[in-house]
Amino acid sequence: MSEGAETTRYKTLKSVLNVLAEILIRNKRGLIGLLILSVPLAMAIAPQLIAPYDPWKTVDDSFLPPSPKHLLGTNDVGQDIFSELVYGARISLFVGFAAAISAVFLGTLIGLIGGYYGGVVDEVLTSFTDVMLLIPVLPFMILLAAMMGQGYINMIIIISIFAWPSVARLVKAQVMSLRERGYVEAARAIGVSNWRIMMHHILPQLLPLLTAFVVLRIGGAMIAEASLSFLGLGDPTQKSWGTMIYWANSSGALSSGLWWWITAPGIMITISVLGFTQIGYAIEEYVNPRLRGRV
Amino acid sequence: MSGILPFILRKIVSRVVVFFVILSVTFVIPRLLPGGAFAYLVENPNVPAELRESLIKEFGLDKPLWDQYVDFLRQFFTTGNLGLSFSRLQPVSKVIMEALPWTIALVTTSVVLAALIGVTLGAIAAYRRGSKFDSSMVSFVMFVRSMPSFWLGLVLLIVFGYYLGWAPLYGAYTYGATYSSTLEFIQDVLAHLWLPIFTLTLLMTTGYFMIMRNNMINVIGEDFIYVAKAKGLPNRVIVFKHALRPASLPVITALALDLGWSISGALLIEIVFSLPGVGKLLYDAVYMTDYPLLLGIVVYTSALTLTLVTLVEIMYAYIDPRVRLK
Repeated sequence: MSEGAETTRYKTLKSVLNVLAEILIRNKRGLIGLLILSVPLAMAIAPQLIAPYDPWKTVDDSFLPPSPKHLLGTNDVGQDIFSELVYGARISLFVGFAAAISAVFLGTLIGLIGGYYGGVVDEVLTSFTDVMLLIPVLPFMILLAAMMGQGYINMIIIISIFAWPSVARLVKAQVMSLRERGYVEAARAIGVSNWRIMMHHILPQLLPLLTAFVVLRIGGAMIAEASLSFLGLGDPTQKSWGTMIYWANSSGALSSGLWWWITAPGIMITISVLGFTQIGYAIEEYVNPRLRGRV
Repeated sequence: MSGILPFILRKIVSRVVVFFVILSVTFVIPRLLPGGAFAYLVENPNVPAELRESLIKEFGLDKPLWDQYVDFLRQFFTTGNLGLSFSRLQPVSKVIMEALPWTIALVTTSVVLAALIGVTLGAIAAYRRGSKFDSSMVSFVMFVRSMPSFWLGLVLLIVFGYYLGWAPLYGAYTYGATYSSTLEFIQDVLAHLWLPIFTLTLLMTTGYFMIMRNNMINVIGEDFIYVAKAKGLPNRVIVFKHALRPASLPVITALALDLGWSISGALLIEIVFSLPGVGKLLYDAVYMTDYPLLLGIVVYTSALTLTLVTLVEIMYAYIDPRVRLK
């Protein structure tokens, strides 16, 4: 990573656009990711323009098969499944994005402190991180979800609680090498406080990498949201792709052959995760060109 | 040279400490949150006063917190008991012990199959890097890894269960069936379990494939492979005889680190296929708000994960002495 150059690059709008073009258009993976993601993103941005019906209204008989009138048929209470799918994009993407940001925030904080201070502080934080990596995540998530109550904000909190450890590990490794750089030692020598060194001299160096971490973790968070929702722990007042699969499954869609009801939301989740992963890789390749062509 | 015994001892002690922490957390959480896990029971007007009294006594809710904690630990370490399941009115430990063998069977079978298949395919892909086989395998793996595991299970169930009729839609054996021999029972179980095992194996294989492929590509770039090439050994011998062993060692570490996730995945798959394992219990516990059962599952799955991870690590230290020094 070239020092300083990264940070100045982010300063003007023109160079921001240039960076975006480099990642999303000139990089093949990034372009593929962007194209794949355009569908769920369009749904999330303007559902009212795409969805033919109000997803909360009973518009027809229940359990209708797909037809030109109802592209994916209707559900158990006669709501249009395609419209549910379109409106579900916003909450699914939002939960994934918010949980990924929070997890990276937590992981960065812990990795930064551990990597910068080292010694006992690091040992305590590292063993805490290792424990979090070791435990069977699902039962713990379910326990918390059941106790905190259903709501998408709680869901974001729960997912980020269990998604930060891998970030902390990666950040710590980076910080440990940045800590030894000349300019950090110089700052320390003239008496700059530890906190200021971390925030002003180390963190900005990490920002490009952290962006990649966030994007790469949106997919995992979306899958976690879907899994919890599938278990009936989703937000009952919202329609997400996960809760759609839950309702489809608990209304017996599987044993009555209504396969489109189960598959459609899953396909949306899969392509979103795929899209975010590709863009995440493109960002990583931009930050660290040596990674190019690894897969 | 440090021996393997101090290593084993160190690992076991640290894992016991971790388990102790998890136990304490499961004690604290239900008592910490507003309302608390026991509110459902104690403040529920539908629970008769007598039953309430006896339940409060049973859980020791009238005692000071510290005494409750000591009781909780003493009970667990002497009898393995974690209280009574609200929904089944049976000891939590008994309910879980009945379900645990199914989960262990599902996880271990899939992990072993996935590791073997993933390592083999990963090695071949690395050996033929850039080939059609390699790039299509990588794309396929990326695609599978983007799917929610439970959803993949549902889709396979629709295809193989509902449409092709090759697998039953639920359960681990035919309910109410009588068997004339053990063999018949095993046949019936296999007919039910092949699809969940296939699903889980497919999901886990993708992870091992990616790790193996990356390791192999790195190992192929090392000096001793260069020497082997200089000696004029055929490519096939170099890859499958010289590079395979060093490249597959880190897969074991990954296997250990991923066990927590593997078990979580297995629980979800069990729920999709309605297998009588711990996953199903988890689902029921959520559905019935059965907190003692939920907490018990957390404790027992943690114990299972920690035990398996430690075993794998000890095995690894036995194979590769370098680890013991860390």
